[in-house]
Amino acid sequence: MEYLYTLAILMALYVILAASFNFVIGYGGLISIAHPVFYAIGAYASALLARDAGWPIPLAIVAGALVALLASILVAVPSVRISGDYLLIASIGFQLGVLEAIKNIGWTGGAGGLTNIPALLAPGSNHAIYVALTIAVAIATVVLLRWISRGPYGRAMSAMRDDELAFAALGRNALAMKVAIFALGSGLAGLAGGLYAHYFRFLAPGQFDILQSAALLTMVVVGGLRSTWGPILGAIVLEALPQAITFLDLPPSLLGPLQGILFTGLVLIFMFARPQGLIPAGDIWRGRKAMATDARRA
Amino acid sequence: MPAGLEVRGLCKRFGGIVVADAMELDLAPGRIVGLIGPNGAGKTSFFNLVTGVVRPDGGRVSLDGRALTGLHIHQRARLGLSRTWQNLRLFPSLSVLDNLLIGARVYPGESLPALIAGPGRLRRAEAADRTQALDILERMGLAGVAHTDVASVPFGQQKLVGVARALMNEPRCLLLDEPMAGVEGHAYEAIQDVVRRLAARGIAVCVVEHNVAFIRDLCDEGVFMFAGKVLARGSVEDLIADPRLTELYFGT
Ligand SMILES: Nc1ncnc2c1ncn2[C@@H]1O[C@H](COP(=O)(O)OP(=O)(O)OP(=O)(O)O)[C@@H](O)[C@H]1O
Ligand SMILES: [Mg+2]
Repeated sequence: MEYLYTLAILMALYVILAASFNFVIGYGGLISIAHPVFYAIGAYASALLARDAGWPIPLAIVAGALVALLASILVAVPSVRISGDYLLIASIGFQLGVLEAIKNIGWTGGAGGLTNIPALLAPGSNHAIYVALTIAVAIATVVLLRWISRGPYGRAMSAMRDDELAFAALGRNALAMKVAIFALGSGLAGLAGGLYAHYFRFLAPGQFDILQSAALLTMVVVGGLRSTWGPILGAIVLEALPQAITFLDLPPSLLGPLQGILFTGLVLIFMFARPQGLIPAGDIWRGRKAMATDARRA
Repeated sequence: MPAGLEVRGLCKRFGGIVVADAMELDLAPGRIVGLIGPNGAGKTSFFNLVTGVVRPDGGRVSLDGRALTGLHIHQRARLGLSRTWQNLRLFPSLSVLDNLLIGARVYPGESLPALIAGPGRLRRAEAADRTQALDILERMGLAGVAHTDVASVPFGQQKLVGVARALMNEPRCLLLDEPMAGVEGHAYEAIQDVVRRLAARGIAVCVVEHNVAFIRDLCDEGVFMFAGKVLARGSVEDLIADPRLTELYFGT
């Protein structure tokens, strides 16, 4: 039972990560694969604030999200000015740098990992509460991002992706928008990090490396870039399937490679059979109800 | 305080090509100026320099007495500088109406913090923009395609959408780059009509166009440009009658 709780919590956290990553790369059109580093920053900041500074855990989780958000602004402001590709390079550099720093600093637990992170749940309480909490946060995240992308901001994001120069010449501040999109997405990843830290109570830098980046990218792309349900489905399927085969009672020496093969196989199947993702988004931006009202009036 | 657009000593070269050679040009409020000259004279470059798309090597540009030098593209637009593009640059993933909504001088939904803090206020601002956009579309004969994807309306109508989108800014100065190229019939009157209305409200307009008849019908005066310089300014009739300019224009 506890195993199923763990799986459900991981799925909910990956829904937050995939949805927020989709916001950054799909809707914002920002080329970055460093999403896990903001997940790491949120997790470590929250864990350390609660463990070493004695902050109340809920406050530490929110603060961790804000630290991730601020860090992402520091990465984005200088890079989006130069050109789109520079953000990719700057953010990967940032990801490698932060993970390297975590490995080498004493108070982060180093390469061996950060232990004794205080748990949000009191000992002996029902773990289903934590499942409900993470699912609630995941739903709130998806609803918030969907609301943003279907309103005036979403229209502007579409226009910016279509033609940034024409967009700017109409008085729109594309740089500010890119920074804001990157910051919101990264802040949500940080929130997922805090939720992770205070349940699993152990963090190691290897959990947030470039393989995580690949996994997240896969979830979003296999699920369907710029669709609401795509990344959710991608996160659940790609998190569940490799876990599900652990029930097969295979020896660990077989299990690891099998999970890898399954993951890669799924990606390959989708790349060829359904390049637009499980749930493809339309090419045309459709806002919510206001459009329908206009259509009736016209 | 000088009103309208003032350009002084504007210089720009791309390698060996001089696109602005100490260019001087004033656009007065309420006047429609036709900018003519052969291909490669630097007309589009002039728009790019004024709107901030291309950074000049030197010179000054001001709008209604406010220096534009050093401002970003979007900051200039917010001061009331509006333009169209020779190659249209519409937003293909949006409907005609949504293309226009992006062009409002102040776009209600642009700030994520403001959006999250006060969705109600934004909804009201957006409603006002919709009314304005539908109004402009109506005036230009585009009301019927307001909700059509812009990529699927005919080219002639797309050109009109480009002009309509530039009007959403309620500009102080409007720069039109070849609005008639590839367009015929109804668009001719529609564009002439909206441009005249704008000028009557005191807006400075500059039109780049190879269609001389269109320029002659519409503009109060003409400016002849060649190799990044203003060679002559006067009535359009006089400019096209000048054999020296005609020779430069047709490159004989
Ligand atoms: N970004 C650029 N880099 C290099 N050369 C450029 C650039 N922009 C314009 N040019 C060159 O500058 C010259 C002037 O171009 P511009 O587009 O301003 O001419 P134009 O008067 O608008 O011509 P047309 O009537 O054909 O539109 C051309 O030779 C063009 O190739
Ligand atoms: Mg041109």
